Amino acid sequence: MPRKSKEARRSPLLPLPLVERLLSAALSRGAEFAEVYVERNTSTAAMLDEGTIKSAQSGSVTGVGVRAIRGAQVGYAYSDDLDAPALLRTAQTAALIADGNREPGPVNMSRTPLPTYYQVRTPLASVEVSRKIDLLQQADTAARAYDKRVKQVTGGYADQTREILVANTLGHLAEDRQDLCRLSIQCVAFGKNGERRTGFYGGGGRVDFRFFEDFSPEHVGREAARQAVATLGAVPAPAGPQTVVLAPGWSGILLHEAVGHGLEADFIRKGTSLFAGKLGEKVASELVTVIDDGTVAGGRGSINVDDEGNPGERKVLIENGVLKGYLYDYLNAKLTGQRSTGSGRRQSFRHAPLPRMTNTYLAPGDQTPEEIIGKVDRGLYCRQFGGGQVDISNGNFVFEISEAYLIEQGEITKPVKGAMLIGVGPEALKNVSAVGSDASHDPGLGTCGKDGQAVPVGVGLPTVRIDNVTVGGTGG
Amino acid sequence: MNLLDTCEQLVKLARKAGAAEAEAYAERTRDASVRVRDGEVEQLEQASSKGIGLRVITGQRLGFTYGTDLSKEGLQELARKAVALARAAAKDVANGLPRGAQLGAAAVGEYDPAIEDISPEWKLQAAREAEKAARAEDARVRKFDSTGAGDFLSRSAIFSSHGASGESRVSYVYVYCSPVAEADGQLQTASWSDTRRTLARLQRPEEVGRIAARRAARMLGARKPKTQRVPVVFEPQLAAEFIGGISSAVNGLLVHKKSSFLGALLGKRVAAPGVTLVDDGTLEHGIATRPFDGEGVASRRTAVIEDGVLRQFLYDATTARKAKAKSTGSASRAWASLPSIGTSNFYLMPGKDKPDSIIRGVKNGLYVTAMLGRGADVVTGDYSRGANGIWIENGELTWPVQEVTVSGNLLEMLKGIDAVGDDLDFRSSTAAPTIRFAELVVSGA
Repeated sequence: MPRKSKEARRSPLLPLPLVERLLSAALSRGAEFAEVYVERNTSTAAMLDEGTIKSAQSGSVTGVGVRAIRGAQVGYAYSDDLDAPALLRTAQTAALIADGNREPGPVNMSRTPLPTYYQVRTPLASVEVSRKIDLLQQADTAARAYDKRVKQVTGGYADQTREILVANTLGHLAEDRQDLCRLSIQCVAFGKNGERRTGFYGGGGRVDFRFFEDFSPEHVGREAARQAVATLGAVPAPAGPQTVVLAPGWSGILLHEAVGHGLEADFIRKGTSLFAGKLGEKVASELVTVIDDGTVAGGRGSINVDDEGNPGERKVLIENGVLKGYLYDYLNAKLTGQRSTGSGRRQSFRHAPLPRMTNTYLAPGDQTPEEIIGKVDRGLYCRQFGGGQVDISNGNFVFEISEAYLIEQGEITKPVKGAMLIGVGPEALKNVSAVGSDASHDPGLGTCGKDGQAVPVGVGLPTVRIDNVTVGGTGG
Repeated sequence: MNLLDTCEQLVKLARKAGAAEAEAYAERTRDASVRVRDGEVEQLEQASSKGIGLRVITGQRLGFTYGTDLSKEGLQELARKAVALARAAAKDVANGLPRGAQLGAAAVGEYDPAIEDISPEWKLQAAREAEKAARAEDARVRKFDSTGAGDFLSRSAIFSSHGASGESRVSYVYVYCSPVAEADGQLQTASWSDTRRTLARLQRPEEVGRIAARRAARMLGARKPKTQRVPVVFEPQLAAEFIGGISSAVNGLLVHKKSSFLGALLGKRVAAPGVTLVDDGTLEHGIATRPFDGEGVASRRTAVIEDGVLRQFLYDATTARKAKAKSTGSASRAWASLPSIGTSNFYLMPGKDKPDSIIRGVKNGLYVTAMLGRGADVVTGDYSRGANGIWIENGELTWPVQEVTVSGNLLEMLKGIDAVGDDLDFRSSTAAPTIRFAELVVSGA
């Protein structure tokens, strides 16, 4: 769906004749491909602690990254000086990846028409900071009112309005404005004998500021407080293999770690992922269908266009347990004769793009959460989750559980603390024994790190049961 | 204009815009790196960048802005916005810039002009040597995640309306190698790297490659042991990550908010005798040695835990004022963020035990060589991390282990350290020798 909005006719971040000169300069030593990436990122943040707004801050960073490619070799340079001579020097530095001389022909660019998956009318940067601060104060009040044992509340609001322009020597030119916001609250509940438990909640996305009328700060504060209080008096999590049931939503981090990273095309091309060469093979239970989808409306990981100028896509990675595809950026696709899947992302103009996930989720099944839990004689119900990490080669992944309960005879019973799941990606996915009908996305909190680059991502999972997962804990 | 002058100019503009107190921090960096694959360049990267941040306090309210535009107009915009933002924040009597005798410069920190002149060819050669040595070390190493070398130079300046004024610079050079070993359909990766502030101290690239290859190859055939409570030995890098977790527990702000498991234990025994944890911004050859911290307070050496007894928490100026303590020169800083409490060179003092004898003292246990996940939760005191390593039987390293977690309670873990190695090497700003925990839970099959 091509669009003709006012956006597309605003003056570009960098004059197009200069962009063309930079592309030519980047090709001048014989590179086969060059790309110019221009970014202006305006951000606002506020922090709340001990009941008051500790600070309000804002910043604006503008810069240009130039990439030149010859074969599998990449030259990358960037600059935050925007005058033409400095930028030309930057392009010439990137060009050094090739060592010949060549008179590059003219570059003719045409705009890539883009769909829009974001629901942002007013740039977040132009919303009054006092309204952002109000969110934090309302969340703080709600968290403290939830329970007297909630003694520490820390909150953060952050947003950015990120404008990008990507142009390359294939003639593609794409421009996008990617707004993003996030409200989050952390609570510490104080129990008996110095016991402390924490709760963390929040959300946001590529959404209009009015998002917080429905996803209210009071809800955020109460949920963070509920988590902190709920696990006071928890006993240590039992250690060893168990049946676990994952609550829907943010638990999708499981997919992100257990399979998502291993399907990124750089690891596949280098043969360093355990999923390399397994296309068409069964790598998971047939209940498992995994999708990476950059087109989720308002999603934190959604992109109209990736950071290489290719439109965001919905890709089925695993279908009924069979591996169907990988996540490609431009370079890895080109080198392996594939097509970019719109997965080339970067943290900023200071970074060369890498194949990355967007919003990664599991397609729903047909069981109700009650049915799934009801069949567990003894196990662990994981309700809230922290972060995770994966080792791409051996597939080992971990996944922190911040709120968990024992399941005894099909009933959720006592809270447990300090639990963590560890597994090997494909094995864990083969042990998925039930998938709920309650498809759910996380509320918009996730940030993924790879090679030192952080990008916003989304995850999603319905209620899922996995058999024989190793649970780390200190209990017997 | 040089950075210090730019900072001074910004502070003046902020005062003119209405700030009672103002402080500017700016940085200029140069970053150059080469990555290789199969002996060829894979990526060549080179760039310079700069940025400035402005902290203002007006009516005890705090505002902060940052940007990359150092022109007069750019600076004026930062000053105007910072003051406007401060008006939106709440009053806090603890807000205030450090001043007086605590400001100044204590150590210089190494800067090696030779690093300025490192050519792309040198880095290419270093990376090639590391990759080649890794291949030669073990026939099962045929793939690489990445291998590379690079250098990083930075100059920073700070200027405040209340007496802070100084410049500092750092130089780093590094080599890294992440090979993947493969056998019987199993892939195992490992990495090894070395970062130094002077070129002469950098580990030889071949050595980096060889160590990395050995670390990957020795994990082949890894499997999962049974769940059990056993002694656990942490290699130096993992011991460093463990004390890195402990560093948050001595963060003065978390302590002030009663959100650290160590918060109420000042002066008490919190670790085994022989455990001494130090934060030292003046350490000779230290990766993080600096004349002053991120708000201009002179660097110093602080014993945080001394022979097992908790002695001192770490503070920046604002938290110190709040907690009626003194800044320990522990403000970490980057131009795009406000100062926050962090460590400089943070390390566990070496003990007398040889790493070999620490392992020999274990009849049945785990030697940890890599970990996954965050690990320490200093608010609750829980500790749980994914681990890879080698199983110890009768004092010998035997078969490789993966897919386990190592769990414990942080205070019990500190008290349960029953051996500290003599093998401290400052490979990063947080460093520790080999340590052994008397007993932890290893969850596996």
